[in-house]
Amino acid sequence: MRNFLKVFVGILVLGLVGSSQIEITFWSAPNPSQEVFWRRMAEAYMAEHPGVKITVSPMPETPTSEAGILAAIAGGVAPTASENVFIGFGDELVRSGAIVPWNAFTGWDELIVARSMSSTIKAWEFPDGNYYIIPLYVNAMLCAWRIDILRELGYDRPPRTYSEVLEVGERLKAVYPDKFLWLRSELEVPTWWQRWFDFFVFYYAASKGQALITGNEITADDKAAVEVLRFFKTLRDKKLLITEPLATGFEVGATVMTVLGPWSFPWWKENYPELVYGETFVLSPPPVPDWYPVDEPIYTFADAKGVVMYAQATPEQRQAMWDFIQWVLSDPEHDLLWVEITGMLPARDDVGVNPLFTGYVEKNEPALLPYAKTIPFAVPPFAHPEYVEIQELMGLECIYPVLIGELTPEEGWQAWKAAIAPLLK
Amino acid sequence: MESGNRTAIKVKTTVKLRKELGGWLLASPYLAMAVLFFLIPLGWSLSLVFFDWNLISPVRNYVGFYNFREALSSTRVHNAFLNTYKFMAIIVPSVMVVSLGLALIVHHLPRLKQFYAVGFFLPYLASGVAISLVVRGILSYDSAFNEFLRSVFGTSPRWLRDSFWATLVISAMIVWKLSGYYALIFLAGLQGIPRELYEAAALDGAGPFTQFRKITLPLLYPAFYTVLVLAVGLCFGIFTEPYVLTGGGPRFATHTWQLEIYYQAFERFRAGYGATVAVLNAVVTFASILVIRRIVESWGTRRGFR
Repeated sequence: MRNFLKVFVGILVLGLVGSSQIEITFWSAPNPSQEVFWRRMAEAYMAEHPGVKITVSPMPETPTSEAGILAAIAGGVAPTASENVFIGFGDELVRSGAIVPWNAFTGWDELIVARSMSSTIKAWEFPDGNYYIIPLYVNAMLCAWRIDILRELGYDRPPRTYSEVLEVGERLKAVYPDKFLWLRSELEVPTWWQRWFDFFVFYYAASKGQALITGNEITADDKAAVEVLRFFKTLRDKKLLITEPLATGFEVGATVMTVLGPWSFPWWKENYPELVYGETFVLSPPPVPDWYPVDEPIYTFADAKGVVMYAQATPEQRQAMWDFIQWVLSDPEHDLLWVEITGMLPARDDVGVNPLFTGYVEKNEPALLPYAKTIPFAVPPFAHPEYVEIQELMGLECIYPVLIGELTPEEGWQAWKAAIAPLLK
Repeated sequence: MESGNRTAIKVKTTVKLRKELGGWLLASPYLAMAVLFFLIPLGWSLSLVFFDWNLISPVRNYVGFYNFREALSSTRVHNAFLNTYKFMAIIVPSVMVVSLGLALIVHHLPRLKQFYAVGFFLPYLASGVAISLVVRGILSYDSAFNEFLRSVFGTSPRWLRDSFWATLVISAMIVWKLSGYYALIFLAGLQGIPRELYEAAALDGAGPFTQFRKITLPLLYPAFYTVLVLAVGLCFGIFTEPYVLTGGGPRFATHTWQLEIYYQAFERFRAGYGATVAVLNAVVTFASILVIRRIVESWGTRRGFR
């Protein structure tokens, strides 16, 4: 009888401990390395905080990760928080009341300081003054150049301006008629997100990072935009830019330049070990118009995503998740682990100067260093409820007609502005 | 006597009921699936068409028939509508000819008929995405095929960037994928034609061509009818090939109903409008199949095939 009582009390105690444990769920991006990072973070946190149980799983990506999140929210099975949300989709979630602001939690200001995000975070402020997304990583887009081929052509550094690019291109065609300067078959495809990796990159470079859309207004630098379109058109007319698919590409030297994010390096290491930074390729900011001041930094587009907290979570779960996220992001060692595991740079102001990161990068992946230094000049996607259609129309109404010569660059740019005007009301 | 009849009727009724119950029981998994994955989503979609809603917002904006008005005046939907018939005009006759040709070849093989029939069926099982990527490789500017064309003709088509060629490439891929499957239907039809008919025709002096025209084709009418309806229905569901290869371009030349529904519902998060396009797609599909069925049925009746 006494033994029975002991067992009964034991079970009761265990049950009470179990029930006092807060369970929270976190969806990582559908990318194995990011899932590994979050699992390790969760395990380490739970070891220190036995009252919290964190379940990490990759978010569904059928048909897209955004649609997976929407379906989960609609079905009432959203996680407590997830990563992999960019500001455009975040805006959709904010307008639907599906996510909560992080800055409402106690300790927000301390986190900004601890993670060195005072400058980076500014681009993530929503029109209501709140911060619904904590930026996790920033992939500034740079141009990779086959320096081995450039050297053969008589250049020891990549071209900086449009004229220099055209000069390199002419020499390339003279020596290698079958090679192209740039392969960008997606330029003729209207798919909205492809604009991030072509027009946006060159536009932000030419315009010193001038926003395309602010609120419901077009705030783009018209002159810069037209210059970019004219540059694309000239490249295509001179057969330096190919807009048809190629079976080969930059990796085998069929083209000399490509717009590149740091996520390509692990793949290159595995499949193209001959691509060595400094030997076969170098990185540079996107080319700029000839009038662009030499002493000014060159901006670019940033593929940047962050963490959001879902409104479906209970107040207790939200607080537990905030504590967890605060714990993860307050320690620079965790961000270093992020770099080591994912190969992507954390959204920190100091990633290009903090010896913790620069030391690791210089030793292990020197090609990441230019990316780190570009982060302060990397512009994330704009936030507007109609971002998909706005970017889709850029391909349909502007870039494609300009490329095939149906419209002049000026006409193409005006056509895009006219086409999106009804969406900005 | 009367009570005996009554008992007999009772027994018959019980047996009938039991049989019916058994039938319902056997059909229940399918029925449950149909209710769960067809009827409920259909009802849900029909309820969505009157709203401007992204599935998660607490506010559902009732817009009446605005979604229909917008869809009916949308260039994107117009293109999807017209392109479907453009694809149909290429795919349906091609798939008929190719699959019938395959079926005839397999039917006349002296041995290994099943092996070849399965072989031709395999493309139907292949992943659309994988096949599209292979095709993109074959048609890429620097592929051996295009190098050959340029060496002979001095130029190569912009296969996926020219509206004419892109339409043709996508159609060819679908014909390739489906022909083996439809060939099985024709093969079943061919195997059902009594050999005696051909022997009698041969005795009457009919040559192979006359036999084919007067015996094979009329008796294959049910197979033709089935393949036609299936192929027409399929043209309204084209998605993977243009999604991977052209994104619906150039200039919506390969845009389809399914691409439009995907774009609106999963990229723009306009569930209400996406559902509206899906409903319009369903209506156009049913109407088109109905019209084509009527035409083929009346033609079959006139020619005495039915």
